[in-house]
Amino acid sequence: MITLAHYLTLSAVLFAISVAGIYLNRKNVILLLMCIELQLLAVNFNFIAFSRFLDDVAGQVFVFFILTVAAAEAAIGLAILVVLFRNRRSINVDELDSMKG
Amino acid sequence: MVPSVLFAIFAGVLVLSALGVIIARNPVHSALLLILCFFTSAVLWLLLEAEFLALVLVLVYVGAVMVLFLFVIMMLDVNVTRMREGFTRYAPLGAIVSGIIILQLAGAIWLRSGLPAAEPLTPREAGHSNTRELGAVLYTEHVYAFELAAFILLLAIIAAIMLTLRQRPGLKVQDVSAQVKVQRKDRVRLVKMDAEKDS
Amino acid sequence: MNWPAGLEQALPEWALTTLTSLVQIGVVCLVLILSVAFLTYFERKVIGFMQNRMGPNRVGPRGLLQPFADVIKLLMKEVIVPSSANRFLFVIAPVLSIAPALAAWAVMPLFPGFVIADIDAALLYVLALTSMGVYGVILAGWASNSKYALLGAMRSAAQIIAYEIAMGFALVGVLMAGGSLNLGAIVEAQAGGPLSWFWLPLFPLFIVYFVSGVAETNRAPFDVAEGESEIVAGFHVEYSGVAFAVFFLAEYANMILIAALTAVLFLGGWTSPFAGSMFSFLDGSVLEFLRASGLHWLALKTAFFLFCFLWFRATFPRYRYDQIMRLGWKVFIPVTIVWIFVEGVMVVLGVGPWSS
Repeated sequence: MITLAHYLTLSAVLFAISVAGIYLNRKNVILLLMCIELQLLAVNFNFIAFSRFLDDVAGQVFVFFILTVAAAEAAIGLAILVVLFRNRRSINVDELDSMKG
Repeated sequence: MVPSVLFAIFAGVLVLSALGVIIARNPVHSALLLILCFFTSAVLWLLLEAEFLALVLVLVYVGAVMVLFLFVIMMLDVNVTRMREGFTRYAPLGAIVSGIIILQLAGAIWLRSGLPAAEPLTPREAGHSNTRELGAVLYTEHVYAFELAAFILLLAIIAAIMLTLRQRPGLKVQDVSAQVKVQRKDRVRLVKMDAEKDS
Repeated sequence: MNWPAGLEQALPEWALTTLTSLVQIGVVCLVLILSVAFLTYFERKVIGFMQNRMGPNRVGPRGLLQPFADVIKLLMKEVIVPSSANRFLFVIAPVLSIAPALAAWAVMPLFPGFVIADIDAALLYVLALTSMGVYGVILAGWASNSKYALLGAMRSAAQIIAYEIAMGFALVGVLMAGGSLNLGAIVEAQAGGPLSWFWLPLFPLFIVYFVSGVAETNRAPFDVAEGESEIVAGFHVEYSGVAFAVFFLAEYANMILIAALTAVLFLGGWTSPFAGSMFSFLDGSVLEFLRASGLHWLALKTAFFLFCFLWFRATFPRYRYDQIMRLGWKVFIPVTIVWIFVEGVMVVLGVGPWSS
C-alpha cells in the first residue's frame, strides 16, 4: 500500500542525494548544474504527490511551470559555461577567482 | 499489489541512478544516469496518474535539456582526474550531512499523525484525462502565469544565443536566400556562334 | 484476446494482461522486422529501376532472398570495437537508436478496435519517443573515439533536433483538428472519405511533417551527415557486424514509423478512401468490400509514403548542411506557426471537417 508518505520520503532522499552531490563535487560546474536538476526533480515529486492525494490540480500546474523555468535556467547556465570555457579553458570553480580591472 | 511492486522497483532504480550521478567518474556517465533518473521519475508520475506531466518530462528534459548537457560535456574537454580531487576526503562528511537531512525529513513525514490524505488513492472514473483537466485550468485561471512562462522561454532563447554567438571577422558566409532566389537569366547566356570549319 | 478457459482461471489478472500484451507486441515486432528487411530489398529494386537498371536479382527468385543474405553476412562479420572507445556506450548506442522506433508502435491503431496500448496521451508518447532517437546518434559518435564520427554525430543530432520542432508543431495542428491525443480518436475523426482526411485542411502541415520526417531519419536529400561522399559514414563509421546491422535496421524502422504516422495523422489511417458519400453508389454492389476499413488500407498508405522516401533518394541531389539548417529553422517553423494560427481561426469559426 503506497501512501503519500512513501512519495514524500522518496523525494526527500532524492533531495538529500543531490545536496551531497553539490557538497562533494564543488569543482565541477557541469555536475553542479546536474545536481540542481535533481533537486528540482525532487521538488516536482512532492508537488505531484500532494496534487494527487489532495485532489487539487494546482500542484500539477506548478510542476508545469517548474519544468519550464528549469529548462530555461539549464539553457542559460550552459551558455554561460560555454562562454566561460572559451575564455578560461577550464571549468574548475576554484580557478574562477579573479575579477578583471 | 502490482502498483506497490512497481513503485518499489522504480523507486529503487531512481535512488541508485541518482547516487550514480554524483559518484560516476566520467561526466558522460553522470549525464546518462541522470537521463535514467528522469525516465524512472516519469514512470512513477504515471503511477500517480499524472500522464501529461510524465510525458512532458521525457519530452522536455530527456529530449532537449539532457541533449544540451551532453553536447556541452562532449564539446568541453574536461580534465577528469583533477575534478575528483576532493572527493574521498569529503565523502564521509557528505554522507553524514545527507543522512541527517533524510532522517529529519522522514521523521517529519512519518512521525506526525494527521498527514492529509495519507490513505491509498481513490480511483478515478474511466475516461478521465489528465491532459484535459490541466488544459481546462491552465488557460483560464493561470493564463497570466502561462504567458509569463512563454516569455521566460523566449528570454532564455535570446540570452543563450546572445551569450554564445560570436562573429568571426573575415569569415566568408553564403547567403542562402540569395542563392535560392537566383533565376536562369542571371546564370545562363545563349551565344550564337558560327561553326568553325577547316577551309 | 480469447485465451483458453483453463488458462484464464489459473493465472491472476495482471499475469493475463501481461501475457496478452507480450503476445501482441511479439506479433507486431515480428511483422515490423520482416518489413524492415524487405524494405531494404524494395529500396534497392526501386532505386535500381529509377536508374534504368535492375536491382538485386540473383539471390532467390527475383532477388527476394537478398535481405536474408545481407543479414547473414552482417551477423557473421566481426564487431570491431575501437581501442580507447567506451565499450558500454559503444554497444548501447545502436540499441538506443532502434528501441524508440519499435516502442512507438505500441500506440499505433492498426485496424478498427485494435491498439496494443489505448492510452489517452498517445500523440505525446510518440513525440517523446521520437525525441529519444537522437541519443543513439550522439552516443555512437562519442563512443567511437573518432573525429569523423563525432563531427558527423553532432551535425546529425543538430539536424534531428531542428526538424523535431517542426514535426511537433505539425502534430499540434493535428491535435487541434482531431480534438484528442488518442490516435484511434484522430483516425475516427477523419472518417468519411478522402475529403475529410486531415491532409486537405492541414496541407502545409502535412508537407512539413513528411519532409521533416525525411530529414529526421537522415535520408536523402538530407543525408549530409552520413552520405558516403561527404563524411564517410558519419556517426556509424566505426561500426561493423551486428552493431552496424542494428543501426541500419533502426534507420529503416524509423522510416516505416514516420510513414505510418503520416498515414494515421493525415491520411485517415485504416479508413478506406472509398468511404463517404461520394462513393455511396458502390453500396450493395459487388465492390462493396472496397468501402470497408481495415489493416490493408493502413498498409497501402504506409507503402505509398515509403515509396516516396525511396523516390526522394533517387531523384534529388543532396542539400548542403547550412541549407538544411536554414530550411528547418527559418522556413518550416514559421510555416507551421502561421498555419496553426490559421487553423485556430478555422476551428473557432467552425469552418472545416471537424464536427466540433
